[in-house]
Amino acid sequence: MPRKVRVSVDLDICVGNAMCETYAPKVFVLNDDRQSTVADPNADTFENIMEAAQDCPVSAITVIDDETGESLFP
Amino acid sequence: MVTAISDEMFSGEAITDPYSYYGRIRDEDPVHWNEKYELWVITRHDDLVWMTRHHELFSSEFWSRDKRSPYPAIDESDLGLYQFMREFFMKWFIQHDRPVHTDQRKVVHKWFNPASMETWRPMVQQVVKDMLDEADEDGRMDVMKDFATPLPLFVIAQMMGMPFEDRKFIRSMAEKLLFIGRGEADRMQPLTDGIKELMEYLSPLVAQKVDLPVDENDLLSVLASGEKTGALTRDEVIADAILLLLAGHETTINLICNGTLAFTQHPDQWKLLKEAPFQDPDTVVRATEECLRYDPPVKSIQRIASEDVEMGGKLLKEGDRIRWFMSSANRDPAKHENPDTFDISRWPNTHVAFGSGIHHCLGATLARMEAQEAFKALAGRYDSISLETDEYEYQPSVTFRSLKSLPVSLK
Repeated sequence: MPRKVRVSVDLDICVGNAMCETYAPKVFVLNDDRQSTVADPNADTFENIMEAAQDCPVSAITVIDDETGESLFP
Repeated sequence: MVTAISDEMFSGEAITDPYSYYGRIRDEDPVHWNEKYELWVITRHDDLVWMTRHHELFSSEFWSRDKRSPYPAIDESDLGLYQFMREFFMKWFIQHDRPVHTDQRKVVHKWFNPASMETWRPMVQQVVKDMLDEADEDGRMDVMKDFATPLPLFVIAQMMGMPFEDRKFIRSMAEKLLFIGRGEADRMQPLTDGIKELMEYLSPLVAQKVDLPVDENDLLSVLASGEKTGALTRDEVIADAILLLLAGHETTINLICNGTLAFTQHPDQWKLLKEAPFQDPDTVVRATEECLRYDPPVKSIQRIASEDVEMGGKLLKEGDRIRWFMSSANRDPAKHENPDTFDISRWPNTHVAFGSGIHHCLGATLARMEAQEAFKALAGRYDSISLETDEYEYQPSVTFRSLKSLPVSLK
């Protein structure tokens, strides 16, 4: 079973760098303001989601283990 | 009498006080056609953010797409040098649009992520301490020459694995490249000399790195790995290495210098920084963001319209040059309360000193970290930092907000 996660993006921080969209395009989708929003948090691989979170230049992405509630990023 | 807006962006007035000059344009004609230099001047926060987020309308391929003659004008005999310069700048990854820009940025994007930058903090703290120990012996320093310049230069040279003794050479070449934002008609010679000498200097270093396995701690090695994956050509690796060297220190120099100047002019804010009450985020983080907003290191960035776009009742035509001004957007009263007040408790601070969108500054986290450590150390050490002179001058650049020197006494 692949790991299930909850993902969120803080729109007060997001600068629309959109690297997350290139790592995990089914999870991160840009809204009308060209900021990142979460479509389906489990539509891309766990590795790609974590990479998107780690490489966000302003650390706007939070990843939580859906089962245990453990914070996976930051 | 109402006077027309002067289009001389290089006038003493506009260089010394860009906040009044571009502030007036923002109030009276926020999307302004500068007739003299044939370009659009964008001054509002919301317009700037909208444009950065619509990169498909405003191309970063400035040097390959600009069909107009050089601005400000250059000596006619230097047109060959101008062409050489254009062909060099076209190779920078920031001079591309998607998808090329994304593929090339990805070669080094991870290297600059927040966690990776954090590992360099202890080194930065040590360098700051060493430099201020030295300044303490004299009780004074030129913030520009003795602190703000050597610190980021040391850090980027270290990150790129450049030999210690090469820093002087790197800085003198960087100073030649900074003619890019200037107006002198004979600026092409020093500018292209700087490019050529840095290319010669970096070529053998890059060749070495390409042949070796990637060293994840070495930025130049990571950049050179882009050649192996096919994201970059050898010439592009060399050009981007020059970009990282230059952008990796010049902007941070200005952030530290302009920020220190702001503190000398606002003793109440200096006191606040020194008291550093526990907050989340802490005072130093907030103060650094306010320095970035109040007197940003980079004044403006240029683009070229990819298609006809209407903005604020004006028609920007395909191929038109555009310059958006962070220094004006950061003082936009529609975005920031009391925008001309230096207030280090301001939070959240939604300045655009690093731009926004897909081209948001790659080195933003590094610049922030270096400035935080610099301001923290200054506040921890000195009761007062006072200007030794009231006469300070700025480089006549439309791109960089750069002091020539900043002599201070330390107590």
